[in-house]
Amino acid sequence: MALEFISPEGLRLDGRRPAEIRQLRANLGVIDKADGSATFEMGNTKVIAAVYGPHEVQNRSQQLLDQALVKCEYSMANFSTGDRRRKQKGDRRSVEISLVIRQSMEAAIMTHLLPRTQIDIFVHVLQADGGTRSACINAASLALADAGIPMRDIVASCASGYLNNTPLLDLNYLEDSGGGPDVTIALLPKLDKITLLQMDAKLPLEMFEKVFELGNKGCVAIANYMRNVLLENTKDLAFARGVVKV
Amino acid sequence: MTAAMEKWRAPGELLGWASEYTSGRGTYVWNNKIYASVVGIEVVSQPPVAAETKGPLIEVVGGKRHGAVPEPGLVVTGKVGKVTGKTASVEIVCVGSRVVKEKFSGIVRQQDVRATEIDKVEMYNCFRPGDIIKAEVLSLGDARSYFLTTAKNELGVVSATSVAGAKMVPVSWQEMMCPITSQKELRKVAKVV
Repeated sequence: MALEFISPEGLRLDGRRPAEIRQLRANLGVIDKADGSATFEMGNTKVIAAVYGPHEVQNRSQQLLDQALVKCEYSMANFSTGDRRRKQKGDRRSVEISLVIRQSMEAAIMTHLLPRTQIDIFVHVLQADGGTRSACINAASLALADAGIPMRDIVASCASGYLNNTPLLDLNYLEDSGGGPDVTIALLPKLDKITLLQMDAKLPLEMFEKVFELGNKGCVAIANYMRNVLLENTKDLAFARGVVKV
Repeated sequence: MTAAMEKWRAPGELLGWASEYTSGRGTYVWNNKIYASVVGIEVVSQPPVAAETKGPLIEVVGGKRHGAVPEPGLVVTGKVGKVTGKTASVEIVCVGSRVVKEKFSGIVRQQDVRATEIDKVEMYNCFRPGDIIKAEVLSLGDARSYFLTTAKNELGVVSATSVAGAKMVPVSWQEMMCPITSQKELRKVAKVV
């Protein structure tokens, strides 16, 4: 018998409603050496991101004369999943996620303002409980803003799925491995532009629209939270430096 | 500035219409609207009189400051590395009065050392490894380094160590003297003002 993902009372395995995101928590400037850094938590999923740059291009042959070179590296801690296992760097999954994060961030960064430079983004999963790629995009976005890199908008990402004939927002690991479709969206909320849309498994078009709409709303909610965190952090820094007085 | 008056902005926030304001630092124009591109305080000020400006200048400031980057026309301070017959390589440490965060390399070519008799320049008689020089950025240079020039009175060697190991004092625009041995060494000396 298939696992029941929604109880008769309409609650999910972790007690959420179908259209509810997990608790969010974010911290900025967590790495001293990096130009910008952030941790981002969505429930039990926790990731850390560091941004270095803009600095001179390390490999001269990759230098772009009219825009910045954006590089991204995604990795998972050995202790991040239930079974501790040593993962080698550069497997198919992490290469794909690195690419996906890079592409969605590149869409937001104003790369044409920083020609002949390089921006490095490192994201590391500390605790995995579904939706790591969304959490990574959110963390990377906060770290870029913390580094003071000009962006068109902040990028917010959220996953949504469809299980037991119900659209679900922000899937956790159990729901992720439930076999249903998993739609990851990254959004530029103020400009209302999609920078990433990924789906595995198949879904009828009318269902997809519902799931997509739900994911979109999740992104907007996450973006609002991220915006508040950014503003609060910058205010604190400005007061600490004495730029502005209370 | 009081806390109540400040408008804090995050990337993507709408600031105003491009027809009413002039877009400044930390902002960008998209679809005739001005948006913030960094985190900081919104500042509205009168634009400089020049150019065809439409209205008050709108900026977002107060975020992190980026490290200094050499630009053509700026005076930089650097340490001389390798000196060859035609060039002297320089490791740039300061741009204006700001210390750089990362390393930038520059070169002073033979023809850029001084303004007169440029074909008679002997690089070894102008710079030695370890000298601290002031130079102006001529251009972004080749793929490797910035092109620097010392062809001005106030540019050239500002600090150098003699063979005996003492800090030398300038005696003319071409010579510096060791205070211990009184030996003179040739340099392209900067007139420090």
